[in-house]
Amino acid sequence: MEILTGNELISGATVYLDPRGQWVEELQEARVFAAEEGEARDAAIAATKATLRIISLETEKVSVVEGLLVPERLRERIRATGPTAPVLDRQHLYEDGHVSI
Amino acid sequence: MYRYDEFDAAFVGGRVAQFSDQVRRRIAGELNEDQFRPLRLMNGLYLQLHAYMLRIAVPYGTMSSRQLRKLAHIAQTYDRGYGHFTTRQNIQFNWPKLKDVPAILEELSSVEMHAIQTSGNCIRNITTDQFAGAAADEIIDPRPVAEILRQWSSLHPEFSYLPRKFKIAMTGAPNDRAAIRFHDIGLQAVANAAGDIGWEVWVGGGLGRTPMIGKMINAYVPHEHLLAYLESILRVYNRYGRRDNKFKARIKILVHEEGLETIKGQVEAEFAEVRGGVLTLPQEELDRINTYFAPPAFQELAATRIDVAREAILDPAYGRWLERNLNSHRQPGYVSLTVSLKPIGGAPGDATAEQMEAVADLAERYSFDELRVTHEQNLVLPHVRVSDLRAVYDALVAAELADGNAGLITDMIACPGLDYCALANARSIPIAQAISQKFASEERQKEIGDLKIKISGCINACGHHHVGHIGILGVEKKGGELYQITLGGDATENASVGKILGPGFEAEKVPDAIERLVDAYVARRESPAETFIAAFRRLGEAPFKEALYGAG
Repeated sequence: MEILTGNELISGATVYLDPRGQWVEELQEARVFAAEEGEARDAAIAATKATLRIISLETEKVSVVEGLLVPERLRERIRATGPTAPVLDRQHLYEDGHVSI
Repeated sequence: MYRYDEFDAAFVGGRVAQFSDQVRRRIAGELNEDQFRPLRLMNGLYLQLHAYMLRIAVPYGTMSSRQLRKLAHIAQTYDRGYGHFTTRQNIQFNWPKLKDVPAILEELSSVEMHAIQTSGNCIRNITTDQFAGAAADEIIDPRPVAEILRQWSSLHPEFSYLPRKFKIAMTGAPNDRAAIRFHDIGLQAVANAAGDIGWEVWVGGGLGRTPMIGKMINAYVPHEHLLAYLESILRVYNRYGRRDNKFKARIKILVHEEGLETIKGQVEAEFAEVRGGVLTLPQEELDRINTYFAPPAFQELAATRIDVAREAILDPAYGRWLERNLNSHRQPGYVSLTVSLKPIGGAPGDATAEQMEAVADLAERYSFDELRVTHEQNLVLPHVRVSDLRAVYDALVAAELADGNAGLITDMIACPGLDYCALANARSIPIAQAISQKFASEERQKEIGDLKIKISGCINACGHHHVGHIGILGVEKKGGELYQITLGGDATENASVGKILGPGFEAEKVPDAIERLVDAYVARRESPAETFIAAFRRLGEAPFKEALYGAG
């Protein structure tokens, strides 16, 4: 299973593509692409690139643990929540930071 | 301190205007990210895990109070109220918004600062001894020459697209506090047989995935020919440095693969062409720059002995601070003092806006308006009267900056690691925090004495782990973090690269592993005067390996 993630242009905030085609802050709202949905995933990547508003666009492998999406990589788990030492809130989107495809 | 002339002001102002327009065009969709990325990097703007990061140059680690206050203002206004001082004597802000960066750069230019050449394959900020211009052991203040090198290397058209980034460090003292042997070029002030002062030139040092100690390429280059000589080295590197493989592109690989004698021959041939030409430094220009770095108006004071033992009885914390955080000054009655950014359990190198304001106030009142950033991620007030030490200390206590731990086990270098950095494989800061807490006892720190722990979250070695007496390198293993421990590194004139002794440790086991190493050292040292690194060199790795992994 994969999700799409990137950083929003203005704030640099970590964002995820949701099922409605909006780039949102919350990992748990991310659209999950199954292995057979490669075409849809690639179309979403292309549409996202066309917006010019999401940078460092990547696919990330995830699994579902007790009903929650958990990225396989520690890096992505930290990206989702913010620095751990000291614990700081993640970057948030601003009014001009909402992107959809 | 140096003040911008019309050329400096024009190029910094011009760059602010240019980049502001580039940001506008990027936000308007007139530039895509592929087009914009190299432009933002040329202006020190990276994208990290959570947000953009702006890296601001602090030339040769010297700042005025006004400049530090501006950094505090930027932290407060545009970021999250703190900044992170780095091993390149720079400062990084971790949370700027793209649309605010033009305003930040405009604010910086108003105090003669910028973020140009803090990224990219160009000559980066030139670093120096943090006690430059103050240290009792100094032959010459290296900063006038560092300033000349800054001017020479800024927007140098021939060296803006080198095979890879290029770092120069210099020291005017025989005791190397600037790690010059681990830079692309290291410069050490020396006197020749006639007593004239010039520069010993080291080349091809570096850390990263292939750590190398620099090699001396020239034992004496006079001031007036230094620019021509360095330009010759850069030309040879620019011509022959590898561009086919990023990991083999630094000059250390060129020197290693071709051999010092080959490179030296090529440099000498180039030098013969350019020597005596336009790069010759006129004495009047050297004199002009020197005036900016003239010693401040010190009072004529008698040499003052500080009775640390007495002060330690009266106030143990003050005594510890006096014992650890002072450096001898060339001017009687004065000292340089280290402001530790390593509180127990803190993130090494971080300072809040309020702390920056406090240090700026102290610099203005007690240190001729001058302060320094150290490559070990602390700050320095370079010129403080001995009679003012108590007042400065009390103010530092109020600002929570009075840890008397300079050079002790809790005075660690740590890169931002996986908490921030897009390149990292493992976290660094939590490891530093856990070790700091493990050794929080002042008595224990004092018992251990001088010990440098340096922590990197990936092989790029921004945390200088290769030259830690104890180095810690975070790596990724099976989706988790693992930490390799190296021993025996040294960034000073006794340069050495640490060696890995065995398998790595999980994060929660690192502090105990460090404690076993420390216990082995304390048990085997000849006396408390024998430092960890000295004991390691005498004893070899065997007892430490046994401490880490058992006798098996």
